[in-house]
Amino acid sequence: MEKVFLVHNKIAYTYEKLLLDLNNKENESPYLYVKDNHPYDIFLGIVHSLLFDYPIEVLDGDFSENEISELGINVNSLTLKTKMKERLNFQKLDEIMQRVKDIENWQLTLYTSGTTGRPKKMSHTFHTLTRNVKIHKKFDNDIWAFAYNPTHMAGLQVFFQAFLNQNTLIYIFDESMKKVPALIEEFQITHISSTATFYRNVLPYLHGNTYAMVKRVTFGGEKFDLLLEDKLKAVFPNAKMINIYASTEAGSLFTAQHDTFEISPEHQQWVKITAQQELCIHHSLLGHSESLSLVNDWFHTGDLIEMVDDTHFKFQSRQSDMINVGGYKVNPLEVENILMQVPGVIDILVKSKKNSVTGELLVADVIKNQEIDEREFKKELKQYASIHLQEWKVPRIIKFVDELPSTRTGKKVRK
Amino acid sequence: MNKLLLIINEMREEAGHESIESLEASMDLREDLTLDSFMLAELTVRIEDEFDVDIFEDGIVQTIGEIIAKIEGV
Repeated sequence: MEKVFLVHNKIAYTYEKLLLDLNNKENESPYLYVKDNHPYDIFLGIVHSLLFDYPIEVLDGDFSENEISELGINVNSLTLKTKMKERLNFQKLDEIMQRVKDIENWQLTLYTSGTTGRPKKMSHTFHTLTRNVKIHKKFDNDIWAFAYNPTHMAGLQVFFQAFLNQNTLIYIFDESMKKVPALIEEFQITHISSTATFYRNVLPYLHGNTYAMVKRVTFGGEKFDLLLEDKLKAVFPNAKMINIYASTEAGSLFTAQHDTFEISPEHQQWVKITAQQELCIHHSLLGHSESLSLVNDWFHTGDLIEMVDDTHFKFQSRQSDMINVGGYKVNPLEVENILMQVPGVIDILVKSKKNSVTGELLVADVIKNQEIDEREFKKELKQYASIHLQEWKVPRIIKFVDELPSTRTGKKVRK
Repeated sequence: MNKLLLIINEMREEAGHESIESLEASMDLREDLTLDSFMLAELTVRIEDEFDVDIFEDGIVQTIGEIIAKIEGV
């Protein structure tokens, strides 16, 4: 039987098909912008750029044209194509894997919510992207549930781990949660990696059953939730639970069982904490970016940690204004800048509201022009945000206020 | 149930969806009301503001009936 590469929407894409499509692809494009983030097209685009060693910028299919322009990209250049100068005819998957090992210059670029309100561009080499990927015979039969946005760092990590071991990926990211248990059974999924928010949402449908075939459950992107881990243990009795600290800037860096992260020996000299307990990462572990602000070669993550011993630490909180909505980092400034464009908005403050589903959620306090009807205006603001921003950046609850709190320096107070 | 219907319809209206006539205890939040995780988070916050109950505290809420039970403290 042909080995399946990806199952998405009940369609199975085999490795054979992937090979054929790679051989038949006539053009290369500098941008990978796929409507609805169709995973097969995204993975095909990434592997193609990798094999032919041309740089690629991966854009979230959720980006609106407006957001794309904000990134400094001309919307018309998204469809840019050049005919391949060289074509290769791969006969076997092993030839592809062999070629991947010899990659030298390839770069994959992602955009991440920046601290200045404008997303910053991060370029990664094959090395920084796959630093934590493990290739071994013992992983040959792993079957992965793919439960991340495929254009984000965490999704790329899972993709490379599975692809480089020639595993099967079962795409469950926009599947209805109700179908997930049946998919785990049908494909005998062995590995799941996702955010705490995803697990919280799928749990009601898994509750009461056990899935003995699942060997590993990985959490990433959000604060560790011990209660959730206990509940998942009951559902996946044979699974090892792993936490991963990864970022768009650095890729995957630390792993933990429970809440204590380990700094591996080869990374020790490139990780430090400041007197204020902030985690800093040396630029040699990071992707490349023009807009990354470094202090003497060190990147300040904004994450406050507590060292347990020389090589272990726990996360305390974040120092920066970034808000984590179900594993997606949002800069409230970016959202404020967009909504300030709506006629009738005099001032706006976007802040975080804690909740047990997505950890945090965006809410907005708005000072509006007095004549405007509240109900209609709420609708209009949300609609404007949905058109111009990715869905997790839409403030879900809007309150109209007469004034906004500010500090003595005039800076808004987000608490 | 009426108060909950009001909250859900307010959410729907603001999101540009049509309002619904009534709620049934058996309605599935994700399947029948098609709430995604962001909307469930929004619902949780709105209910917490109104009733001071965190419906997702224990992580296992699937239907309207289960929310009602939590609000009523059953």
